[in-house]
Amino acid sequence: MRFLAPAGLVMLLSGLGASYVSKAPSWFEIGNLVAGLGLLAAAGVQAAFRFRGFSGTPSRSLALRWAAIGASVLAASLLANILAVGWTAALDWTVEGTYTLSEQSLRVLERIDADPGDPPELLLFEDTKIWKEVDPLLAVYAAASSELRVRHLREQEAPPEALRLLAGLEHTVLACRDGRCEAVGFPSEENITNALLRLLRQGHPVVYFLLGHGEVDLASESEHGFSGLARALTQEGFRPRGWIGPAHEELPADASLVIIAAPERNLLPRELEALDRYLERGGRLLVLLEPSVDTNLNSFLERWGFELPAGIVADRATSPLLEEAKLVSLVSGSYNPRHPVTRGMRARHMTLLPGARAVIARHKPERDDQLRGLVYSSHHSWLEQDVRGALAGRALQPGGGETAGREIPVAAAGLYPRGDTEARIVVIGDRDFASNRLLDSLYNRDLLMNSVLWLAEEEDEITIRSKVWTPPGHPLTIQQTLAYFYFFAFALPEVLLLLGIHAWVRQRS
Amino acid sequence: MSWRIWTLLRKELRSLFATPIAYAVLTASVSVTAVLFFGSLLRFNQMLFVFHGYGIGAGGFDSGTTPRQLNLLEEVFIPLSQDVSLMLMLVVPVITMRVFAEEKAQGTDELLLTTPLRSWEIAAAKYLATWGFVALLLAVSALYPAVAAQQANLGVPHLLALYLGELGFGIAVASIGLACSSLSRNQIVAAVVAYALSFILYDFQWLATLVSESFARVLEEVELQSHLEAFARGVVGLRHGVYFLGVGAVGFTISVGSIELGRAR
Repeated sequence: MRFLAPAGLVMLLSGLGASYVSKAPSWFEIGNLVAGLGLLAAAGVQAAFRFRGFSGTPSRSLALRWAAIGASVLAASLLANILAVGWTAALDWTVEGTYTLSEQSLRVLERIDADPGDPPELLLFEDTKIWKEVDPLLAVYAAASSELRVRHLREQEAPPEALRLLAGLEHTVLACRDGRCEAVGFPSEENITNALLRLLRQGHPVVYFLLGHGEVDLASESEHGFSGLARALTQEGFRPRGWIGPAHEELPADASLVIIAAPERNLLPRELEALDRYLERGGRLLVLLEPSVDTNLNSFLERWGFELPAGIVADRATSPLLEEAKLVSLVSGSYNPRHPVTRGMRARHMTLLPGARAVIARHKPERDDQLRGLVYSSHHSWLEQDVRGALAGRALQPGGGETAGREIPVAAAGLYPRGDTEARIVVIGDRDFASNRLLDSLYNRDLLMNSVLWLAEEEDEITIRSKVWTPPGHPLTIQQTLAYFYFFAFALPEVLLLLGIHAWVRQRS
Repeated sequence: MSWRIWTLLRKELRSLFATPIAYAVLTASVSVTAVLFFGSLLRFNQMLFVFHGYGIGAGGFDSGTTPRQLNLLEEVFIPLSQDVSLMLMLVVPVITMRVFAEEKAQGTDELLLTTPLRSWEIAAAKYLATWGFVALLLAVSALYPAVAAQQANLGVPHLLALYLGELGFGIAVASIGLACSSLSRNQIVAAVVAYALSFILYDFQWLATLVSESFARVLEEVELQSHLEAFARGVVGLRHGVYFLGVGAVGFTISVGSIELGRAR
């Protein structure tokens, strides 16, 4: 009978080992586990009856008392755990506050709570392998809102409106409301909040891209294309469309925003007039420029208060990250902390502008207009006049002039009250930072989408998007890593081992 | 803490460090953690090097390849948490197996049981000594990650959260091991049962596919790994601490009961 316990253990361990290896439980594993646990239980009962203490009533009562105490502690512990499941209070010690909702997300949840309609719900489909990673964040959303519901479902339990979206989705979290569902994409705070926003919006604001002057193709998937930007806009609930300027007299009436991305040829005079009229009636304009291209758009922007001096911004402090750094590959972490577009961006939220021109908010066309710089280079920058040489990687010498040794603005924003309406313009001195290759680099997407949302007058929804922290440079150099490794993997264990030998020798003597 | 517990605690710690086992365990833990952390950090470094060196500078990356996929959480902290927890599961039963069982095998427990010390005081001293050793083991093994995190601004609070979770996990595994040791005369049996129970409690995901969704959620609440993972993600939640302390309380009660029954013999 002494065979029971070891046999039970062997069977239990075999079952466990097999299940860990195979990952798909079979009858072999289940049989071993059940039989192993049974044999161990039998051995326990047998041991209890063999226990000499049971021969006397006081000892037996003692054993029973301790069995009862043990069971009570186990029950209390389980009860505390069950109660604790509802305790969502937790400290978020991640670098970026991954599990702490931003003010913007909280405002969206407040809107949901105040909305008299059916509240949205977040559906998490547990078939996905990432649900463990997602669950803590969804719990934070559920805790922050009295109306928002979070449901865990299996795919076969999906409501009909969700089924269409589920097909082919890699990460299955959906936001649904009133029979309408939006795919969340990778379930980060950015994407969840954006999906909720899309559900809350009544319609989809239309964004027009000016075309017809050699602008970058909106549909192009190439590394210089803007398909990533189009996707990002769609993800935020906008509807991006191309608009061939030379073919029309007026901008479409449903234009919430017009984007002009570095035209390579002059715009027709009537196009500029149409843009003027559009702005005068409260239009919104985002302009991306290139230092190597000068068109009549520059003089148009100067009329609206922006000065665009010739040259390219070179910065000696800009590129410690880049393997073959060019001085004109601007890595900026200097932002205007008071403007809604850049208010949430700090020095660590760096943006990469691979060749930017200066954009200076110079004068106000009218007294109540407001013009502000948004993004700046470092103090070690200057305006290099040899633009083509600089872009080609020619060695540059710090120049003198008015801008030398000063932060140079490379993006600026203007706000123009006109009667009952308000025009808004954002000018960014680089086009390529929004290209497919660089849109998701560092915090480029944040700068761009914050600008779009401010222009679309949704500044409450401007949010820091990237909440998965990537350090701006190498965490440690290879030399540092190796030095620490030698100390902690060899020197420290050596000392501990010597202490152990000393203890052993002392024990023996 | 009463002076009687304190005296016994000091005696336990002295006996622990009088043998080379404690040093050997510490040595192995430091080395293994350093090697594994070094591996993760080196891999992360190399990936950043590739991205920063060629992705931005020379444009060798396809669109959609983003630095968001390169993050410390998934590449360094989560693997580190898994490695350290595995190390604890392998190492802690080696320490706990002798705490009660050795005394029973050598007969020195009778000496202890005849002293005026109460059963819970004996158990408390042994538990505190073992938990203290687990804390020391984790502190020593955390040195390399801590220095690296501090030097490279990798997020020291996140690392602290991770090691808080490991401490809770270590306390839970040690309590299982001590409970097994208090129920057995044989150190090997105590260690093997402790290994088995720890591995069973560690992960129930393999079982989740066989049971209903609601029962799978219950299993998730019972397993050690899901509570540990929350800490590894940088979230210090009260409920996860409650879980680890609950496991500790159950183990402690079993040991006190075992001592009481030993006295009754």
